[in-house]
Amino acid sequence: MPETLPPKKAGFVDPKALMAIRNLELRARVVVEGFWSGLHRSPYHGFSVEFTEYRPYSPGEDTRCLDWRLYARSDRFYLKKFEDETNLRCHLLVDQSRSMGYRSLAWSKLDYARTLAATLAWFLHGQGDAVGLFSFDEQVRDYLPARHRHGHLRQLMLALEREPAGRSTNLADPLRRVAELARKRGLIVLISDLLAPVDQLERPLARLTAAGHEIVVFQVLDPNELAFTFQNAMLFQDVESQRDIYIDPEAARASYQRRLREHSEGVEAICRKLGFAFHRVVTDRPLDLALLDFLRSRARRSKMVRRRRQTASP
Amino acid sequence: MNFLTPWFLLGALAVAGPVVFHLIRRAARERTPFSSLLFLSPTPPRAVRRRKLEHLWLLLLRCLCLLLLAVGFARPFFARDLSPPATAAQERRLILLLDTSASMRREGLWQKARAKAEDYLDKAAADDQVAVMTFDTQPRALASFADWKSWPESQRAVLARQRLAAAAPGWKGTHLGLALTAAAEQFRENSASRREIVLITDLQEGAKLDGLQGYQWPAGALVKIERMEAGRQSNAGLEILDPPAAAAGVEEAIHVRVANSSDSQKEKFRLGWQGAGERMDIYLTPGQTRTFTAPKPPTGLKSGALELSGDDLDYDNLSYYAAPEIQHVAIYCDGLGSTNDPSGLFYYLQRAFPATPRWQAQFVPELTGQAAFAVVATNLAPEQIAALRHWLESGKTALLILADARMAPTLAGLLGLPGAQVTEAGGDFALLGSIDFQHPIFKPFDDPRYSDFSHIHFWKHRRWDIPAPLQARVLATFDDASPALTQVAAGQGHLLVLASGWNPADSQLAVSSKFPPLLETLLGWSGASAPARFQFCTGDALPAPSSAGGAVQWRKPDGKPVTLPSGAAFAETDEPGIYTAAWGGKERRFAVNVPLEESRTAPMSSDELARLGVPLKWDSEQSAAIARIHQQRLQDAELETRQKLWCWLIAAALAVTFGEIILSGWLARRVTAAKAAL
Repeated sequence: MPETLPPKKAGFVDPKALMAIRNLELRARVVVEGFWSGLHRSPYHGFSVEFTEYRPYSPGEDTRCLDWRLYARSDRFYLKKFEDETNLRCHLLVDQSRSMGYRSLAWSKLDYARTLAATLAWFLHGQGDAVGLFSFDEQVRDYLPARHRHGHLRQLMLALEREPAGRSTNLADPLRRVAELARKRGLIVLISDLLAPVDQLERPLARLTAAGHEIVVFQVLDPNELAFTFQNAMLFQDVESQRDIYIDPEAARASYQRRLREHSEGVEAICRKLGFAFHRVVTDRPLDLALLDFLRSRARRSKMVRRRRQTASP
Repeated sequence: MNFLTPWFLLGALAVAGPVVFHLIRRAARERTPFSSLLFLSPTPPRAVRRRKLEHLWLLLLRCLCLLLLAVGFARPFFARDLSPPATAAQERRLILLLDTSASMRREGLWQKARAKAEDYLDKAAADDQVAVMTFDTQPRALASFADWKSWPESQRAVLARQRLAAAAPGWKGTHLGLALTAAAEQFRENSASRREIVLITDLQEGAKLDGLQGYQWPAGALVKIERMEAGRQSNAGLEILDPPAAAAGVEEAIHVRVANSSDSQKEKFRLGWQGAGERMDIYLTPGQTRTFTAPKPPTGLKSGALELSGDDLDYDNLSYYAAPEIQHVAIYCDGLGSTNDPSGLFYYLQRAFPATPRWQAQFVPELTGQAAFAVVATNLAPEQIAALRHWLESGKTALLILADARMAPTLAGLLGLPGAQVTEAGGDFALLGSIDFQHPIFKPFDDPRYSDFSHIHFWKHRRWDIPAPLQARVLATFDDASPALTQVAAGQGHLLVLASGWNPADSQLAVSSKFPPLLETLLGWSGASAPARFQFCTGDALPAPSSAGGAVQWRKPDGKPVTLPSGAAFAETDEPGIYTAAWGGKERRFAVNVPLEESRTAPMSSDELARLGVPLKWDSEQSAAIARIHQQRLQDAELETRQKLWCWLIAAALAVTFGEIILSGWLARRVTAAKAAL
């Protein structure tokens, strides 16, 4: 499976058109279905989060786990128990703090993050995986446990559409709470701008790893946050702390970009160290690409695991 | 370019305002939310920015507007010399105006004044023309320009000195305003380039300055003040007030007004009758004028003098007093009825003239030369008519009441027209129709509050036709257009014909409130009741006694006799004292005093004259410099008023403001459009 993907940008859904759709669920469906239809033409078919496994019954094993319906069809004993165990439990962590409300385009980072979360949820749900949701700012606001149940996706969409009330970002408390609530090992997708000092990020993230979760991090940034295209010298106000400082963009641009780059590198280094998949998504980028990134990281991960197993088995 | 009010230019500093606003405005206004300031550090605002250049025109317009306003308020003008071209010929006209009022009698003052005047005469150049005038209440020419011109050049100063030597300060007041204007009028007749009045005076506080305010001085005329200093002397003066009319039998108190000069150093004075021992102490702060009750005069005093003592100067310390006499006015009455008959005319007439301490009416049955007025209401004998007619023609006035229709012969005789007819008018009653309020008799009633005669009913009245050749003026008519009161000229005098009586059978006139004032004005108009005064100031004319039939023998305080014909006023009151008028065995005394104003000897500031517009000539160097500066300022103000540059500057400022509004509006629209495009 080739590492680099040369998707034609034209084949993806234009973010502007996508964001014009008001309904979040519909937006997610558009992305995922477009992705699927694109996938069939692409050479990367056969991706999956997990593959289901039926194990032939061996005598002595617990008979409660036998799949009696399969037995009725095939007259063979298979254990169903493993289907549950191996099924993916995914928790989506969506940052709803005020800094996520920044926009230089027609949509904010939060809009983008919600759509990404909805897309992933739709996608995973479509594969039969259990999807849960944590939305947080300085504390956890909404919690939906990971389930794969009829109507769960609808609830999840509703929770995502709820207007945020928070002010600041505090990753430590919400992540501790996530670690408490998501006890079963699973996949955790953190969608945030991660605009906090690097040294304050490492500990909470490490706590999640300690619980054995597999973690994918999406750092959502506005294009203007990267390029810092302001022209006039003026007062800049921090949307979270309400602090004002006078900045001349011409003078400050270079240093800003350097410090942002350092911060991103710092975050990426932590993720690498902790074994996370780290993706930086910019809000003017098609969402399909983010989904592709996600799947690619999953594939890489499973390959890595498989390789580990292979190296461990002899 | 010069400025009239240059300190307004400081307002130009206000341009700092727009400059500063243009520098700091952007720093303070816009506030942009940003997701995190984690990677940003504050940059200090830079004073000079590339962006500022975009609003440079706006800034320039704003600064220009402020500058124009500041310059406009500073009242700019272009300097130009406005002074008239100097004349080559320096012919000079000089008037020496010497004060000869009573206050100049102070010790040494007149000598100094004369020496100063002689000094001017000696220094006069050959082509100068000099006139010498003196003044007190009236200006007087000692030597005119014509005299000066007629004299031989070498003798001019000497002759003028001789005339000056004849002058001396008198006892009269100081009418400085009149003297200055009279002297200035002398300049109107010629066109000399240099005109100067040298005012040699003590310039005392009490000088009258009437007539100077608003006086148009001849062009180029200057007044130089030569002030005669008398040193600081305390002075107080006094003046006896004319006693008010009091009820008969009440002894009148004599009031005296005492004034202390404002530079006086004394406060305590003594007041008493000359020759009598009793004195009273009075206290008066400097500058104050108060009225006191004088000590009781010696019994039976006809004339005397109150004396004030305690001050340094004594020329004004005597105030002469002439005791007021009762003035008797004889009124010839005929046919008016008895004293106690309320149905007659006399009953009401005598009540209309109550006796006062100063005036008393005497009703006489015989017509003599003493009679001042006559009231006739009956047919007279032909010789009586002739006598009355003769009496009238000498300038007297009589009132003829047409009591009934049978009085036609008397009317005809007095008018000198034999055909005059009198008839009884019919009807219930008559009212007064039109009244000539312009005539002196009715003039006091010429006011809507007093002019209502309509409630007076005339039950009976008589008609008489005014014959055509008669010079008559109808003063009032009845509502049937027949004359009610008619004035007919008779020689120098007048006959008044009343076509009804005031007795109750004829009319309600006697019981009307109009009756006493009407008779009073009638008597006053006839000249019979001139109010008598006994206190006068030097320079006033003393009135001839009204009851004097012939010539009056006047005697001045120094005993000099003057005989004047009947009715002529005596004007030679040039010294204070008791003046006596004697006629037909009778005598009347008048007191003439120095005006109280002459006692106010504190020097007046020459600024007072300058304030009244007198063109003063400054003598010292410093004063000349001040005058030059003053002149320059006046000239600058005149130039500025003519050029009116400020109007243009304010108009330009308005135009610039308009431009600024348009430019800023355009810029704002552009910014809005740019934002909308984003």
